[in-house]
Amino acid sequence: MTDSAAQVPATAWAERRAERRAERRAERRAERRAERRAERISRARGGRRAARWAGVRAMAPVTVAYAPFALVVGAAVASSGDPLAAWLSTWTIYGGAAQLAVLDVLGHGSGWVAAAAVGLVVNTRLIAYATSMAPDWRTASVTRRVVAAVALTDASWALARGRHRGDRDFYLGAALTLFVGWPAMVTLGVLVGGWASAAPVTGLLPALALGAIVVPQLRHRPVAIAVGAASLSAVGTAGLPPGTALLVAGGLGAAVGIAMTGGADAAVQRATRGPER
Amino acid sequence: MTVLVAVLVVGAGSLVFRLLPLLGAQRLPERVTTVAGWTGLCLLAALTVRTVVSHHDTSLPAVPALPPVLAAVSVGAGLLLAFRGRSTLVAVAAGGATYVLLSALLSTLA
Repeated sequence: MTDSAAQVPATAWAERRAERRAERRAERRAERRAERRAERISRARGGRRAARWAGVRAMAPVTVAYAPFALVVGAAVASSGDPLAAWLSTWTIYGGAAQLAVLDVLGHGSGWVAAAAVGLVVNTRLIAYATSMAPDWRTASVTRRVVAAVALTDASWALARGRHRGDRDFYLGAALTLFVGWPAMVTLGVLVGGWASAAPVTGLLPALALGAIVVPQLRHRPVAIAVGAASLSAVGTAGLPPGTALLVAGGLGAAVGIAMTGGADAAVQRATRGPER
Repeated sequence: MTVLVAVLVVGAGSLVFRLLPLLGAQRLPERVTTVAGWTGLCLLAALTVRTVVSHHDTSLPAVPALPPVLAAVSVGAGLLLAFRGRSTLVAVAAGGATYVLLSALLSTLA
């Protein structure tokens, strides 16, 4: 009697589990079908090569805007205690702000632990970028996902964000353009970058480029309000270390954005992403 | 050696930050990716604002609030053009040129 009473909930639980598994399988199949459909349409509209070139063309002006900042980073690399190791960080860290922060901490005589902690906190935002890209890359091969991850940074993420969902070739074209261009410009900065550090406007240009990519999305009211909240938070936390302040601003903005759309996924997707193809 | 160790640690950590969410893409719920999208967008905006607020320029007259105000006006001019549909390059060039012109003007007047 006791055994059969225990078996009934166990059987019901197993059935629910099987149902959930079947639902997840069906969802994945539907996603794969949508992805394949998007790729077929993409091919029909000029092919994957055209999408990659569109990404290259979109990233080209951003790369130009990054050039003065890259020269500043190059100058910091040249004046580092170990220029070769600092230069290698252009690829390993692959983020000007984190690279400058690490070199700055090391330049003030702090140990590698402090420098690494600062660099990692500054780059924590990459988790948000990579996580938000996940739906578009679920059906991609592991190799393509690794390439996409290695070349991921603020500008490539922001550019791909404004595009149609599933436009992976556009992202790869844009991201790889900066992945080649940025180290080349930093290397140039190692050789001739000293003068660029003296021009204060160079610090503003990367921020201006990122802002210019984001600002067209402010036409959606929930996005404008969320970004406004994050901006106010950035002003209020200007005295905090950059990594912490940015995480606070990002978290606050995201909370406001979710609250504005009532937590409805579809509404959020419409507000922050391009339409499904 | 210290530089090399720091660079390798930050590089490895950054790679993990980039790679793990994409490699585990199938397991991430849609809700989490949506929140991450909002966070990323707000992070970029905060990055721009923070750069403006913490801007320094020793060539300007010694008024503490002047560099951030000048940066805000210049970046605002560039972003306005971008909002109206101009390209990124035009927005960056306009914002940069505004800053250079205004700072030269203020330095001359001081």
